[in-house]
Amino acid sequence: MAPLLELEQLGKRSASQPDGWLFADLSAVVEEPAIIHILGKSGQGKSTLLRILALLTRPDSGTVRLAGKPPAQWTPERWRMTMSYVSQHPVMLPGSVEDNLRTVSRLHQRPFPADRAREWMEQLGLGGLDWAKPADQLSGGEKQRVALVRSLLLQPAVLLLDEVTASLDALSKQATERLLADLHRREGTTLIWITHDWEQARSVGQRVWFMADGRLLEDAPSDRFFNAPRTEEARRFLAAAIQEG
Amino acid sequence: MSSMSLWLSFSFVLIALLLSLWQKLGLEKEIAVSTVRCAVQLLVIGYVLQAVFHADHPVYLALVLVMMIAVASWNASRRGDRLPGVYWRITAALTITATVTMGLLLLFRLVEPTPQYLIPISGMIIGNAMMVSGLFLNHMKRETETARGEIEALLCLGANKRQAIHDVLKRAVTASMIPTFDTMKTIGLVQLPGTMTGMIIAGANPIDAVRYQILIMFAFSSSAAISAVLVSLLCYRLWFTRESMLRP
Repeated sequence: MAPLLELEQLGKRSASQPDGWLFADLSAVVEEPAIIHILGKSGQGKSTLLRILALLTRPDSGTVRLAGKPPAQWTPERWRMTMSYVSQHPVMLPGSVEDNLRTVSRLHQRPFPADRAREWMEQLGLGGLDWAKPADQLSGGEKQRVALVRSLLLQPAVLLLDEVTASLDALSKQATERLLADLHRREGTTLIWITHDWEQARSVGQRVWFMADGRLLEDAPSDRFFNAPRTEEARRFLAAAIQEG
Repeated sequence: MSSMSLWLSFSFVLIALLLSLWQKLGLEKEIAVSTVRCAVQLLVIGYVLQAVFHADHPVYLALVLVMMIAVASWNASRRGDRLPGVYWRITAALTITATVTMGLLLLFRLVEPTPQYLIPISGMIIGNAMMVSGLFLNHMKRETETARGEIEALLCLGANKRQAIHDVLKRAVTASMIPTFDTMKTIGLVQLPGTMTGMIIAGANPIDAVRYQILIMFAFSSSAAISAVLVSLLCYRLWFTRESMLRP
């Protein structure tokens, strides 16, 4: 059986980099459902990598395979329904909170699972939110959580999460982590999750992709990465992260 | 109008030139080029029309209409010059718009099937459709930038191209049609439009002139709607790559 996800020699050019590449030769395989955190300093191309996986940006080299098939053998819609990206900057679609939550049902003519949406909203601390409220009037943290539930209702096999807890308070952050970990456990959803929160990566994640110097320098189980990083860059990164608290 | 009167009319351009020089607007070249193009184009089309009317042959009529559509398509498609294949899509939209609108005018016997009627009225309809198409492309350019996040959010939820860009298209179609309907609301109160003015100057009864103008304005409403909707349907895929990514 083909692996869930394969990244083969992925590369993306960038004019601002000395060697002309934002990252290159990035290869990794996700054999089975997992929670993978992508760590690395800003400007390493972590978000670009997720955008490539979500078919929002074209790579300049290499290829991605989802369930053994490259994008050309999928329709873009089916690919994105299987592997969905949640942006760091949540965008509310025109209309109310409910209109946003119903988006997937509207796009794909599916019945709206209201109970499930309500349950997830409650778990994320949005139980008291008026669904009739215009979505553009929500706070940044509320928008982030509504955008997350909107994507969860798609029930993708792989969720690409771009710093989705960065704008949340501590309680909402923990609730989000719990919900996502629970989703992984119960439904086998793979989470590929960019974070700058190393505690989150250590406590929630199972595996780390560490990006530095335009490469995927480490692809390791979380325990091993945090206890015994193999590269000097990773050691320096962790030392700095721990120092920052 | 005598040749002397025509030469004297250049004094109006001279006023514009002098004002530009005095106020250092830097528009002298623009004014000069526009003046020469305007005079040459109109004189040429005057002689062409004279020849076409004289010949009274459908082939010449068709040639003039094809030229009008070709130039209008080129002009409108410049607003979307980064989009591959936009010219032919606009050409198709303008051709269908002109065919449907003129077809109805002829079917209802609202205009005479002679070059004297068909050419000027087609020209106005194609011109209006060109303006609407150009506005549509301009709005789309702006809207796809400002609503990039919205479009990508929908793509990430499995929307196809049409679904992802639907709201943006709707806004651009509406915005490109509004000037036509705004003009209809103020026409006669603010400006006396060309057809009517020309007919009155040529000695026609003002009531007859107004009737023709109403006909033209109503035809504009349909040509604006047909061209905007057609251009939007034919062009929306151009904002995406083959893999359904929004173009940078």
